[in-house]
Amino acid sequence: MNVMEKRFRVAESYGEHLWTRDTGRRARQDLEKRLEALESGGTLVIDLDGVQVFDYSFASEFFGKALLALPRDFPDRFLLVENLTNYTHENLIQALEGLGLAMIERRKGKLNLIGKVHPTDVQTFRAIERSKAPVTSNYLKEQLEINLTAANERLSKLAGMSIIRRSRRTSAAGREQYEYSIPT
Amino acid sequence: MGMSLPARVIEKLDSITFDELLAGQHPFENGNSLFDLTGTRLITSAAITQLAAACYAANVAGDKPKVVVDDSGVRSYLVRSGFVGLVEPVAQIEPGFRSSTFYGLEGLRGSNPMLIELTKIDDGSELPGILDQIVWVLQHRLRYRKSDAFDVAVAVSEIAQNTFDHNKKAFGFLAMQVYGERGKQFLEIGVADCGAGLTETLRRNPRHALISSDLEAIRAATELGTSEYEDCTRGSGLHYLLEIAYKHQGAVQIRSGKGKVRYRMDKKQGWAFRVPEMPGVQIALDLRAKNRS
Repeated sequence: MNVMEKRFRVAESYGEHLWTRDTGRRARQDLEKRLEALESGGTLVIDLDGVQVFDYSFASEFFGKALLALPRDFPDRFLLVENLTNYTHENLIQALEGLGLAMIERRKGKLNLIGKVHPTDVQTFRAIERSKAPVTSNYLKEQLEINLTAANERLSKLAGMSIIRRSRRTSAAGREQYEYSIPT
Repeated sequence: MGMSLPARVIEKLDSITFDELLAGQHPFENGNSLFDLTGTRLITSAAITQLAAACYAANVAGDKPKVVVDDSGVRSYLVRSGFVGLVEPVAQIEPGFRSSTFYGLEGLRGSNPMLIELTKIDDGSELPGILDQIVWVLQHRLRYRKSDAFDVAVAVSEIAQNTFDHNKKAFGFLAMQVYGERGKQFLEIGVADCGAGLTETLRRNPRHALISSDLEAIRAATELGTSEYEDCTRGSGLHYLLEIAYKHQGAVQIRSGKGKVRYRMDKKQGWAFRVPEMPGVQIALDLRAKNRS
């Protein structure tokens, strides 16, 4: 397991049935404290093991508001969700789509993007994942056979959603450039 | 549009005939609220919540409403369903109840899983227990799969939360009952409040300031993202209520102010009606038992 990963076992604190916006608010405040305590570059795993159901109010308040705040209030920190049941998986996708948001789900060790995701987002995410190392927009351009502007736009979009990590490095030619990687 | 009809006996008071009661007795118009249920033989759970909300609405307006009930079965049900305990502080129920009758039946509260007595929704703290009971009844008595039972509880959760999310000084009520014989059972859940209603609530958001009627407000409120709040995480409750009711072939009635829309989900369409004015929002959800082998 990645040393930069921390785990938030939601059922342990809030139970198996996550009803109401108020419960979502309390759980999100708890989540935000954990994000604050997380070192830069770290990932907080929202572990829903044991959670059987949540309503849309909970999902909006907990997932929705946390994901909206993540790039703004917790830069260079990441969230992923794990151990969703088929039912909570379906409901979370519906809730995220309604909110126009997306996040990473890890299921049986495999990473997936869930929520409002464009096929190009998935293609970009998979290309970075396959590289096993941080990538540049030039790399993505070549891999996906797209132009550089499109590659930059795709990467900026995912980085702006805190789905991928963006870091600065100096190239061999002495130019500053961004590198992108999967945050786990 | 003439709403004033001669008062007639309403044998079955449900979410539909409740409007006939209002049309015949217009309790919100003359400052002397009377709900005359003489001759009524049955009151459904949705009607109980509407009647409770109506009594509280009249009380908020400075009146002490009077509820007249003569049928002994209905009188027992009003006690058993928790109506008397919750409404007597703000209304006069005639004839009055003997304390022995009251305490005998009120003591049964919570003993029948097929019934959720009239419950006042203050801040949502009472909701988790109620929702878990709805899941249990759907799963174990109406043969719903667990995930389907969760769906319904999610829908109820959303509409119940609306009662206090959008009203600061009003009250919401919830009740549920399973009706019918085994194999042909159905469940009705009523959620009602005596708050500002959908039109006024939505108009608080400048984006919806041009909403001009209660029917328009009901239609708008069922669209994803329409809310009093300018917050993209709001405005999902009634939308998902209809989605879930459609998925499970249920029927939904949404009533607010002078408008009512009934959604028959086997056809995924709604029928709109103008109804006598009543403060707040009142919702009825009806679901049939599943025929799973």
